[in-house]
Amino acid sequence: MKLGLRLTLPAQVLVLFISVFPLLMQLYISLTDWSPLSGAPWPRAWEFWNSFANYTDIPGDRRLWAALGRTLLVMVICVPVEFLLGLGLGLLFVEDFPGKKLAYSILIMPMMVVPAVAGYMFFMLFQSGGPVNDLLSVFGPVTIAWLSDPWLALVAVMVADIWQWTPLMFLILLAGLVGVPQDQLRAATLLGASPWQRFRTITLPRMKVIITIALAIRAIEAFKIFDTLYIMTGGGPGVATETISVYFYKITTNDLIWGYVAALALFILVSLSIAAQFAMKRMAR
Amino acid sequence: MTAIHLQGLTKRFGPFTALQPMDLEIRDGEFLALLGPSGCGKSTTMNMIAGMEKPTGGRILFGDRDMGAVPMARRGVGFVFQNYAIFTHMTVRQNLDYGLRMAGVDPGPRTAAMAELLGLTDLLDRPSQGLSVNILQRLAIGRSAIMEPAIFLLDEPLSNVDAAFRAVMRTELKSLQRQFRQTMVYVTHDQLEAMTMADRIAVMDHGVLQQVGTPLQVYNRPANTFVARFLGAPGMNLLPGHAVQSGSAVQVDLGPIGLTPPLPGPASGPVTYGFRPEEVTLDPASPLKLPVTHVERIGARCIVHLGPVKAVFPAGTEIPSGVVGFTPGKPCLFDAKGGRI
Ligand SMILES: Nc1ncnc2c1ncn2[C@@H]1O[C@H](COP(=O)(O)OP(=O)(O)O)[C@@H](O)[C@H]1O
Ligand SMILES: [Mg+2]
Repeated sequence: MKLGLRLTLPAQVLVLFISVFPLLMQLYISLTDWSPLSGAPWPRAWEFWNSFANYTDIPGDRRLWAALGRTLLVMVICVPVEFLLGLGLGLLFVEDFPGKKLAYSILIMPMMVVPAVAGYMFFMLFQSGGPVNDLLSVFGPVTIAWLSDPWLALVAVMVADIWQWTPLMFLILLAGLVGVPQDQLRAATLLGASPWQRFRTITLPRMKVIITIALAIRAIEAFKIFDTLYIMTGGGPGVATETISVYFYKITTNDLIWGYVAALALFILVSLSIAAQFAMKRMAR
Repeated sequence: MTAIHLQGLTKRFGPFTALQPMDLEIRDGEFLALLGPSGCGKSTTMNMIAGMEKPTGGRILFGDRDMGAVPMARRGVGFVFQNYAIFTHMTVRQNLDYGLRMAGVDPGPRTAAMAELLGLTDLLDRPSQGLSVNILQRLAIGRSAIMEPAIFLLDEPLSNVDAAFRAVMRTELKSLQRQFRQTMVYVTHDQLEAMTMADRIAVMDHGVLQQVGTPLQVYNRPANTFVARFLGAPGMNLLPGHAVQSGSAVQVDLGPIGLTPPLPGPASGPVTYGFRPEEVTLDPASPLKLPVTHVERIGARCIVHLGPVKAVFPAGTEIPSGVVGFTPGKPCLFDAKGGRI
């Protein structure tokens, strides 16, 4: 054995143990019907062994699939909207204009707001007597019950997500836009290319990698949407805004079916990894 | 084919004036070299002609059209950047026919013809990333030339390529211009490039246009000491002296070096006495005397240093040592401010 390996072996084993242990533990629990109320500590979970029953329950879990669908809906709406807004703002901010520095500071502020605070903020904004309705009253008297209507609650939640995460998209895309060589853009202009042609033939191809990264980061984060949303709606009304994370949270803390939660978690982890691999390969092309 | 008129063209960056009001006529189909040291405002001038920079003052006309309100995409000038600005994410072909494609024109045989002309045929479908500087440089010229612009602006196109290739490109650029008869403005800090290629040279320094004329005019009759020193290799010898009137002629007292032969014209007070190194002859009888301090033998010529004076002779010339007498030919006189008398 090499000296270096021998010296670092204890540390390596520790790191491996730390990263793998929770997964192994989850795998173990997912094969049982154990719960913290079952009276036995977790190592004795084998007493409640039910082999793959938790896994075979997954396909029939209607609430799970609905939550998954809702999460994907939030993802496919919010991420593109954030991308387009971020790109538009980025294109604006690569040029100089008066007051740019101030506008920049204000723009990236939402990103710094603690998600829980953002949740309360939007909870207030979307109250029946809240500022959003006040604003809409300009067009006539309205009392829209945003957070108690199943679809409108979903809209409100998405608005909050877009508000909070467009700045990140903007920052990443601005970094990419600044990196597009000015000389090439000028050369294209002098060869008669219109702004749109320049964007399509010079800017976009040069931003391919950074766009892929930005979309990937936001897609993964959007899939895990929880904090702001949970404070705004608690997943309600009913299960109208219940996303994957909210569903997990509820069945873990309310229903206490930990064996099933463990099975679900592993299932989601594996399928998400496969989906991400696939998506990255497609986008890179 | 279009003439370019610059009328009082000025550019300031904040408090810094990059270009003092400049008047210049560039004739239809002319090859004009904009010559000057680095930082003198050549690129600034070109960028304003192309429409990339807004002038602080003055006007630019193409023919009789004022270009003030015409955006750069509509000016129809060809522009070759100093760093070429090749679209490195495209192939050579995509670079060459970029302008035509953007205009919605079918490139047809034009791409192949331009590639042939510039020797790029074998490289057409190669990615342009990673090609040598020499090839990128041709590609940059071809990409603009294919649009057949009436005005072609080149900003130091040869300053990054190697010396051998530079000589080849000088000839090719000149023949390209003869073939297409564009109005060509060629920026360079290399006086040799300007002398060999240009119909006329505009010499600039510190944002001020110093002199405009044919290569021989600026070489033989420099408007001031800057132009005198900047053109030629080595540049003109410039010796401080004192003008002494003798009859209708002037002699210059060069102090310990001696008293020059008479020159025409009135002059008095402190002056600068200039003459080309190529015009110096050795003459033991001359009243001007200096010691030989150093001899540089460079191929076909040898440069003899006589203290502050440089003289150029053919390679085989016998050079005496010690103090020698010399006679300057075709001398010029400059006043205390450097202007030609
Ligand atoms: N955008 C700018 N802002 C401030 N100063 C500039 C700018 N562009 C050029 N300059 C200054 O103007 C002068 C002329 O520059 P330039 O035209 O590029 O010179 P050249 O091409 O002759 O080398 C230089 O001193 C340069 O520092
Ligand atoms: Mg320059």
